[in-house]
Amino acid sequence: MIKLNGIYKWYQSGINRNFVLKDINLNIEEGAFISLMGPSGSGKSTLLNIIGMLDEPSEGEYLFLDQSVFAMKERQRKELYKQYIGFVFQSYHLIDELTVYENIEAPLLYQGVKSSERRSMVADMLDRFSIVGKKDLFPNQLSGGQQQLVGIVRALIAKPKLILADEPTGNLNSAQGDEIMQLFQQLNREDGVTILQATHSEKNAAYGHRTIHLLDGQIQHQHVPL
Amino acid sequence: MLRNYFKIALRHLQKNKLYTLINLLGLATGITGCLLIGIYIWHELSYDRMHDKGDRIVRVTWEYNFGDAETKTAMTGTRVGPEFSRRFPETEAYVRLLKYPRVLALEDKMFEEKNFLYADSTFFSVFSFPLLEGSPATALDGPDKLVITQAMARKYFGDQSPVGKSLKVGGQKDFLITGIAADVPENSQIQFDFVVSFSNLRASKEEKWSEANYVTYLLLNDKASIEPLQAKIENYMKEVNREELKLEGNNYMTYHLEPLTEVHLHAQQDGFEPNSNITYIYVLAAVALLILLIACVNYTNLSTAQSAGRSAEIGMRKVLGAGKRDIFYQFISEAFLLSLIAVVVALLIALMLLPHFNQLAGKELQREVLVAPYTLLALVVLSVLVAFLAGAYPAFVLSSGKVIRILKSGFSFTGAAGLRQALIVFQFSISIFLIIATIVILQQLAYLQSKELGYNKNQVLVLPMDYAMLEQYDQLKAALAAVPGVISAGGAYEEPTHIDWSDGLTSGEDGKRITVNALPVDEDLVNTLGLEIIAGEPYTLGDIQQADPLKWGDTLRYTYMLNEAAVKALGWTPEEAVGKRVAKGREGIVRAVVKDFHFRPLHEPIAPLVIFMDKRLTVNLFLKINSENTAATLNNLAQTWKERVAHRPFEYQFLDENYAALYKAEQSMAGVFTTFSTVAILLACLGLFALTAYAMVRRTKEIGIRKVLGATVADILTLVSKDFIKLVIIAIFIATPLALFAVHRWLESFTYKIDVEWWVFIAASLLTLLIAVVTICLQALKTALNNPVKNLRTE
Repeated sequence: MIKLNGIYKWYQSGINRNFVLKDINLNIEEGAFISLMGPSGSGKSTLLNIIGMLDEPSEGEYLFLDQSVFAMKERQRKELYKQYIGFVFQSYHLIDELTVYENIEAPLLYQGVKSSERRSMVADMLDRFSIVGKKDLFPNQLSGGQQQLVGIVRALIAKPKLILADEPTGNLNSAQGDEIMQLFQQLNREDGVTILQATHSEKNAAYGHRTIHLLDGQIQHQHVPL
Repeated sequence: MLRNYFKIALRHLQKNKLYTLINLLGLATGITGCLLIGIYIWHELSYDRMHDKGDRIVRVTWEYNFGDAETKTAMTGTRVGPEFSRRFPETEAYVRLLKYPRVLALEDKMFEEKNFLYADSTFFSVFSFPLLEGSPATALDGPDKLVITQAMARKYFGDQSPVGKSLKVGGQKDFLITGIAADVPENSQIQFDFVVSFSNLRASKEEKWSEANYVTYLLLNDKASIEPLQAKIENYMKEVNREELKLEGNNYMTYHLEPLTEVHLHAQQDGFEPNSNITYIYVLAAVALLILLIACVNYTNLSTAQSAGRSAEIGMRKVLGAGKRDIFYQFISEAFLLSLIAVVVALLIALMLLPHFNQLAGKELQREVLVAPYTLLALVVLSVLVAFLAGAYPAFVLSSGKVIRILKSGFSFTGAAGLRQALIVFQFSISIFLIIATIVILQQLAYLQSKELGYNKNQVLVLPMDYAMLEQYDQLKAALAAVPGVISAGGAYEEPTHIDWSDGLTSGEDGKRITVNALPVDEDLVNTLGLEIIAGEPYTLGDIQQADPLKWGDTLRYTYMLNEAAVKALGWTPEEAVGKRVAKGREGIVRAVVKDFHFRPLHEPIAPLVIFMDKRLTVNLFLKINSENTAATLNNLAQTWKERVAHRPFEYQFLDENYAALYKAEQSMAGVFTTFSTVAILLACLGLFALTAYAMVRRTKEIGIRKVLGATVADILTLVSKDFIKLVIIAIFIATPLALFAVHRWLESFTYKIDVEWWVFIAASLLTLLIAVVTICLQALKTALNNPVKNLRTE
């Protein structure tokens, strides 16, 4: 599904290049659940953003479903992105001015889904994740775990094939964190959604099929849990 | 999607109440100003556009030089209309008009009517003043016929139809009412309440180039004929000058054609009423636009300043798949929603303020104009315009940020900060400019009001009178002068505030001829108005007897007085002039020289003036009264008047008020400038207030740390106001030279004017600075006084 060949990312500062990513080569098959680990500043988020098409590498090739992402026109890339990718953030990034319902609905608006269709899609999701009762609340009326749940539902609404999660449990207590992780596991198993999560926690990383360790922008090693 | 945009916009507006309020207040104020000035300008531009044949109607003006100076006037002799019609096939019809106040009576009702018009029979067919009753072709086709307006029909006849009835004009003659005209719209240069046939005038019996007392309009066969006809007229008048009038040397006369619709705003010569001026319209439009811009700038500044708070939302929307365009539209719809609300608020305010605005601008605009369909349409267009003007930049900036950067570190508006500063400078430049302009206009007006005119205008009553009172002139005057409180009484043709009568005066010594203004007076006028005689003596008993109005023809002699300018133009000293013979129609001696006084608006220098005794021409009686118990004096005067004058009501004006009315245009300009410069500075400060509020929020932590490090409240205030004050000072340097240039241009239109003094600029600058500092400190003090520990904890 995803192929990264020789991805570099650097920032020019004076005559020096500060490397954030160095020669990343990675293969992610469809249906994988992969954890990305490494200390702060190791390049986890940057890698996620590049895979999520929010950021561009300084050098290297990125194939998504066998199409070269950065050779595409911006519009095509946007379409690809809208269709296949959902993002989940550490700090949820719900839109404060929108209700739960509207937050979940937002991606559909930008994909031009018809209003009646939107209504049934959102209703399905609310039902599936048992948050119907909260649909008219605003984000600040929810607990952190609930907010992250809404964030994930929002990422799922457009039926993406790939979910990119940047420390999704970072702001949650461990019980809430476990729930979210179980949810990811369930999505991965039952719906076949590919998941790539960045995390600090060994415990959370263990939910994945494979863990990739990053240090100073380079892949140190990968291991598959037994 | 659109519904979604509006929903979000509404929630944002509700959430940020202070910003919303400031933006709404600012935009509504700006739009209100635009709206009021807009309908004012529309009204001015709509002048004389109600005539179906309006594009083919021209006004004829007269240019002549009879010896010393080129003179132009909108008044023409009786010959112009008929002669041009006969001679030039381009001319379809002509209308000559004379406005002359008459007293009208119906049984015991009696009023002096100022809007009494003499007009050729073509009047109602050339101009589209609709007749509700009567026929345009025949209503004025002979003498003693009268058309009255609807309002006048009601005034004299109540609900009864007046057609076929008659009114007594001038206490002598009955005029048959042949038609009722619709009331004349305010935006017409020709205003009338009554129209009678031109053939009722004795002057209509004879066609003359001179004795220019009439306004002539021509109806052409085609609007393209104006230029060729103009050329023909000039050629023809050269022939007339040579063959008929035998003018020699520099002497000549000619006529010019002006399209009817351009008279009000573009003509140099006033007709029946003072013209407006297209420059004034431009200035007003500019002021309205500037106010609107200031309001829009507030919006732009606040939106960009606030945008930091919205970076998370925008970033997230982009992550969710929103394109640049989606974000742009979202922010534009927010601006549009706000400007739409502002327009509604502005409309309500404008409806409320219209009476005050009318007073300010000297107009009678109707509320209906504000809610007319085209006004509403214009408002919708305006709200879109404002939305783009104010919202486009923030929308553009907010939509074009890189997602990753926005999510990471929010917006860093380095470019926008520069723009914000430039916009603040712009706002304050406008404000300072307007403040300076206002101060200068007010100063000049005060100067005009207090200028020594050379005659006494205070405590002088003006009573209109007429020819029918001539027989008892002296007795009536004596009786009025005998009323307690009256100091003296004198009569003259025109008021000394504006003498229009233009004439020629020939020296009896060397035949030198000069153009003069002329004022017929009685023997007491010089004393009553307090004119100062600098050589010679007042009129003698002999002069008075020579000018006895009841002795007609040859025995009537004129005795003259000249002003200093006239004496100088004739090449004499005042002392030499006394006793010399001069002629204005009739020859007579110069009895005295009076000190120059201002008998024209102060835009013009004092011109030569001849005063001559001819009571027959008296139209106004002037009564100098003392300031005690004016009410009782007026009461007694009315009593005396009623006993002696049967055919005229007792009506009076105060001379000083008539003088003030000369500067109506300047006064309304001063009013408009005072109002709008106040609005401008308030709006600019509103913006400053909000920006300071924003800066305070942003710098709460910094200020907390500084206080912990030992900064005093004063230090903090200096710190935050410094940046803004710098901008205001830049604005002062930009605005001052511009204002200096503008007020000098304006003052150039006056011959008599104030010197613009340097302190005006200092005062305006200090005032603006003070207001700005107070605004900033009000806002900053709150943060500066806060407990730093609290600031830091909440951060």
